[in-house]
Amino acid sequence: MLKSFKKGVHPAGCKDLSAGQKIERGPEPQSVWLPLSQHIGAPAEPIVAPGDRVLRGQLVAKKAEGLSANVYSPVAGTVKGVVGHITVSGKKKDHILIENDFSDESMLLPHLSEVTRESVLARVEEAGIVGMGGAGFPTAAKLNVGGRADVLVVNGAECEPYITCDHRLMLEYTDEILRGVELAMLACGAKSAVIGIEKNKPDAIAALSEKCGGNITVRALRTLYPQGAEKQLVYSCTGRVIPEGKLPVDAGVVVVNVHTAFSIHRAVDLDIPCYERVMTVSGRAVETPKNLWVKNGTPFRALAQFCGGREDCARIVSGGPMMGDSVFSLKICTGKTSSSLLFLDESESEGKVASACIGCGRCVQACPMGLSPTFIEEALFRKDFAEAKRYGASACIGCGCCSYVCPAKRFLTQSVKLAKKIIAERKI
Amino acid sequence: MAEIKNYKVAASPHKLDSSNTRRIMADVLIAMVPCLVCGVVFYGLYALMLVAVCVATCFVSEQIYNLVRKKPYTFDLSCVVTGLILGLNLPPRAPWYIPIIGGVFAIIIVKMLFGGLGKNFANPAATARVFLLLAYSSLMTKYVGADVSNMLAGDVTTGATYLSGGVAAFKDSFWGVSGYWGYVLQLLFGYIGGSIGEACKVAILAGGVYLTARRVIDWRIPVVYLLTASVMVLVCYQSASEILLQLLSGGLMFGAVFMATDYATSPKWRYNRILYAIGLGIITMLIRRFGSYPEGTSLAILIMNLLVPIMDKFILPVRFGELTKSGKIKPQIMQWTMRGICIALVAALVVSTPIVYAAERRRPQEQELPVQYNYIQTMSVDALGNYYFDVKGSLKFDGSDYVQELEYSITLGDGVVQEIEPIKQSTMGYVAEESLFEGKTFAEISALSDLSTDSQTSATRTNTALKGMIEECFIASDAHAGAEALYGGYSYIKGAAQSALFGGNAFLVEGVADLKEYNYQQPLLFYVVIKDAKVETVVPLKQSTMGYVAEESLFEGKTFAEISALSDLSTDSQTSATRTNTALKGMIEECFIASDAHAGAEALYGGYSYIKGAAQSALFGGNAFLVEGVADLKEYNYQQPLLFYVVIKDAKVETVVPLKQSTMGYVAELSLFEGKTSAEISALSDLSTDSQTSATHTNASLRAMILECFEVLGGGAA
Repeated sequence: MLKSFKKGVHPAGCKDLSAGQKIERGPEPQSVWLPLSQHIGAPAEPIVAPGDRVLRGQLVAKKAEGLSANVYSPVAGTVKGVVGHITVSGKKKDHILIENDFSDESMLLPHLSEVTRESVLARVEEAGIVGMGGAGFPTAAKLNVGGRADVLVVNGAECEPYITCDHRLMLEYTDEILRGVELAMLACGAKSAVIGIEKNKPDAIAALSEKCGGNITVRALRTLYPQGAEKQLVYSCTGRVIPEGKLPVDAGVVVVNVHTAFSIHRAVDLDIPCYERVMTVSGRAVETPKNLWVKNGTPFRALAQFCGGREDCARIVSGGPMMGDSVFSLKICTGKTSSSLLFLDESESEGKVASACIGCGRCVQACPMGLSPTFIEEALFRKDFAEAKRYGASACIGCGCCSYVCPAKRFLTQSVKLAKKIIAERKI
Repeated sequence: MAEIKNYKVAASPHKLDSSNTRRIMADVLIAMVPCLVCGVVFYGLYALMLVAVCVATCFVSEQIYNLVRKKPYTFDLSCVVTGLILGLNLPPRAPWYIPIIGGVFAIIIVKMLFGGLGKNFANPAATARVFLLLAYSSLMTKYVGADVSNMLAGDVTTGATYLSGGVAAFKDSFWGVSGYWGYVLQLLFGYIGGSIGEACKVAILAGGVYLTARRVIDWRIPVVYLLTASVMVLVCYQSASEILLQLLSGGLMFGAVFMATDYATSPKWRYNRILYAIGLGIITMLIRRFGSYPEGTSLAILIMNLLVPIMDKFILPVRFGELTKSGKIKPQIMQWTMRGICIALVAALVVSTPIVYAAERRRPQEQELPVQYNYIQTMSVDALGNYYFDVKGSLKFDGSDYVQELEYSITLGDGVVQEIEPIKQSTMGYVAEESLFEGKTFAEISALSDLSTDSQTSATRTNTALKGMIEECFIASDAHAGAEALYGGYSYIKGAAQSALFGGNAFLVEGVADLKEYNYQQPLLFYVVIKDAKVETVVPLKQSTMGYVAEESLFEGKTFAEISALSDLSTDSQTSATRTNTALKGMIEECFIASDAHAGAEALYGGYSYIKGAAQSALFGGNAFLVEGVADLKEYNYQQPLLFYVVIKDAKVETVVPLKQSTMGYVAELSLFEGKTSAEISALSDLSTDSQTSATHTNASLRAMILECFEVLGGGAA
């Protein structure tokens, strides 16, 4: 019996579309729109002016004070300036527009003379590495816990349907990831590491189990959404419960994604900063689903063209189908946290019309956080936010299980998220 | 690349589970189809009509409400589900207007007025059923027996349910299974009165399994409901065998599967559902056991429905990582409590069922009495062999109209009187002296001669009456304890036993002395004991109370031959006593024959038309057969039962003893057969012995019987 968190849902995996595709180079864009905010925290501050020539791997925006991360240019070319550009959330945000001159001249970070806890932490911060599973929390801040963590949990669960980038990375860069895990352990002071992988990726489990050793172990997890959510993953891998409103380190745990570990290895051993990542482009509305090395700032349209986006595409999703955002324009660009871009056809993305709640309680059975979404929604509609909080709205992780199971097709996730937002704003 | 332009934007998640409201309702409808089919097969097309009317009423009233309130029409099938559930809850012969009233009440009052789908505070079908039960009590509790052959709305006999009528509601046997398991099978397959859809439990279970497999209902509710109800049966009824009868009776199964699991009115969190189901089980059984209504399922569901909002509001799931006020991870108290209760319930059921069953076995079970005793009203036996009797009698006083009723409860065990408890006797102090009898054996009590306990004759008379009662109890227990099977339908013998009291074969014989001169049929009941081919004793249990009693000394100690040869039975100038003696003689002869047939009994191979028993006869020597048949007296349109004891010796009919034949004089002419061979009897052409054809019919029947006896012997020799 595999240890796992309770509740959750079983959406169809749909990973076969791209799981067999080797990682290849993605499109070389004409121009990149580099978002200044590819992470949680303050946007980075541009240090280039219009007309400047930059190399691939050159710092273009410096981290701001507090929680922030450096941004590097993924191409060699000319800076056109800092422009407002739409993002998936619908808001316009500042991007650095760089025109690619296709010379691909590059530069590296200075080589580290010695690998110590301090030097690794400094390099992770310098290289602009953020959590690449999707949250985008600056990794240096996460690893710098002052010895309060004894276990490093490495997230290879990849529980969202369609996405296979972490899966491919684990197969093709097994040694590099394990090296990255060692470096991360060194940086955060953890004595052991657990790599959690959902059981639907037996080849990845086998590859990592074969090569890992010492205090790094691989743990097969039940295929259950949201197995890769931080709190659920920590519980499944270590049996520890992260207290509500606290960070993993309060349970003695640091969580990093396998892709983040890989990026740490690249920054420390190969001196390459974080300006590109592996992305899955999938869905039935692309001719050839692929796993690609994609430069930050690549417009979605370039990816659609590269993989053969089809006319019958009914919905475009940035991220996984459970938590990802619906894309309203192909002008939007990728960032450090873009793990996938899905082109779904009609059969994969049926629309829904909400009908009356029949009180089946499936949302209550499905919520991995133990909330009561239907009652939260009811309280929200009554504007009784204290009641919504009593039913646990503040603890929502936004995984979407409640909306997924709802037979009345209600927008429960959105209701709970809204209630959570209002409760936080009004400090109820 | 083709231009991508027709995509839409939508909220996450972009993948959805395939279930939807209408599909769920359709699943519930599918799950109820077996119940409906069984209901129609058992109760006829009228039942189908009732259900159809109910469904139509619910659908139409919902749409009319929408029309009046200017709301969109709803086609989510939920009103059809309500209609079907309510329809299946109706008695099969309810008047046509009942489903209409119930349907309107369920949909308009319980569902739509409270906000429609998902907003109703109580299950519409359960509430409507309770409403109908209160408003039309007599109509709603009138159930009919199941009758597969009666498909149309014909007159069907009114039948009780087990809950209202007890085991009397059952047929004696079902598919050849009689007794307890026969009852269980009848309940399981619904071959008994009940509501249309509640009858066949197999169909309900099939529906429940389907709904569970489709993940439409939470299996915890029906399972915990039935589990709690089982334990409650043990507690409330102190009976293990009652568990299955209660679970399979009435609406419990149907309610547990289809009504208690109703979404809107059951709790949302699984551990609340367990609590809810426990509440249902407790309330249902309390109503059934202690309430004035025989059935409590609907009412229990209604009551628990009202508690659901409170449970949902105040018993919340513990959030993942939720902290207590002191900063510790909050323990899953509700979860562990409910799991603990369920484990405790299972353990209680598993552990106490055998214990309760053993105790139940020791509790006296009422026995059927083979004959009508003089005093004994009921006889019960427990597993330890103790006998419990309720006896009734009366004392008349000369020269007074006063009749003193006597009623005692008498316990026999280990061959002695264990306890005598007076229920009704003199309130003036002339009471029985129980110490005269308690702890004494039959022989000691029979030998008691001085029963006077005071100068008052009244108490002495009471003691005397009680002595007779106790003696009867001893005889009844003796006859019951050693009871043996009887092979034929004897004229007088009602029970046979190996007597422990007297040793030998004992027979309970019942008959009448026809006192023509008083135009009175005096009932007679004797206990005849035969030992070593002699009459050991004759105990009179019922005969004339006017003094015309049998003279037992005429028979006691005599053999069959001696008794057969008795010619003078008159013991006094009164013919009445003589008639009693004559009747007793016939009875004793029958006892000898039965004893003879039993003592030398041999196995029979194959089924015969007439022969019920074969024996090596000790009385007559040779092979004896008990043959049973009928003389078809067509002219009187009467089937005269016949029973003869045919003895064949040296290939000839040695003797034929008539045990049962016409009492009107149309009797068999035995001389036609006695001393003859098979061939001679076959050759007999003239069987008429009189001008009456009736006797001839009897002779013809007897000839066939005798020939069958010869055939058996021939076959045995071959």
